[in-house]
Amino acid sequence: MSTPATQVVDHSALKVNQTGIIVTVLVAFVGGALFRPLLVLIPLLAVVLLVGTFAPRLALFKQFYFKVLKPRGIVKPRPVQDRPEPHNFAQGLGGVFLAVASVFLIPLTFLGLALALLVAVLAFVNVAFGYCLGCQIFYQLERRGLLRA
Amino acid sequence: MSAQLWALAVVGAVVLVAACLETFRSRRARRLVLATSPSGPTGHLLMNGEETQPYILYFTGDSCTVCRTHQEPALARLGDVRVDKVDAVAERTLADRFRVYTLPTTVVMAADGRALHVNYGYAPAPKLERQLAEARGTSLRSAATA
Repeated sequence: MSTPATQVVDHSALKVNQTGIIVTVLVAFVGGALFRPLLVLIPLLAVVLLVGTFAPRLALFKQFYFKVLKPRGIVKPRPVQDRPEPHNFAQGLGGVFLAVASVFLIPLTFLGLALALLVAVLAFVNVAFGYCLGCQIFYQLERRGLLRA
Repeated sequence: MSAQLWALAVVGAVVLVAACLETFRSRRARRLVLATSPSGPTGHLLMNGEETQPYILYFTGDSCTVCRTHQEPALARLGDVRVDKVDAVAERTLADRFRVYTLPTTVVMAADGRALHVNYGYAPAPKLERQLAEARGTSLRSAATA
């Protein structure tokens, strides 16, 4: 049986990334009620996530962890033997949902906000309980041969 | 502000529906697995041929992070219990047989190869210990009536 090679993935970087998503969406969600231009954070977050998916070196929150939080000992590293692909896939999926949310923000604000909030809820579930819906979708696609292992 | 309230209502409804669907799905899968579980040794599942204790089939995969961070430490806490680790992607037939739709999935097997409990998603050590104790009781009853 051929299994894809695992490597060491720093799960603290993933947690910081998810926390960044939650905080940004919440600021846009709550702040947007008082100061509408703050809703622009949602399309910006979509861009950050999508860019970070295809060019991990440009992943804003992860780089913040690697360049600031980790060297200063603010967040301790948590290396785990893992595959980065499911996490990248989940991040990309979050980015796609936020991009769709951004499209809806002007004509149907509540729908755009709901989609963005859903991404934040899933990021919270991942931070709090370790359950990654995007990784489960990745598993299903891989199992059906739709994604290359 | 009303857009925010509507958005909260939509997300609440989506989460509620998703939770209900997940509960329905796992119950249905569990029921089907337990109903179709064969009695007697099941070839692949009994490596030693003469298993006398209940054991655990542990479905995992390389894409499963919870398996490494939560499930494997929980399985390690069980002590001297046989755990057969199965790659759900590579061993697709076996995974389909136990209707594995999420990882991790743990199946508590009786000594005779019957599936007694199926846990879709992370199963903590106390839950597995309880299921194993029940499986040991079942095995003893089967031995007594044989």
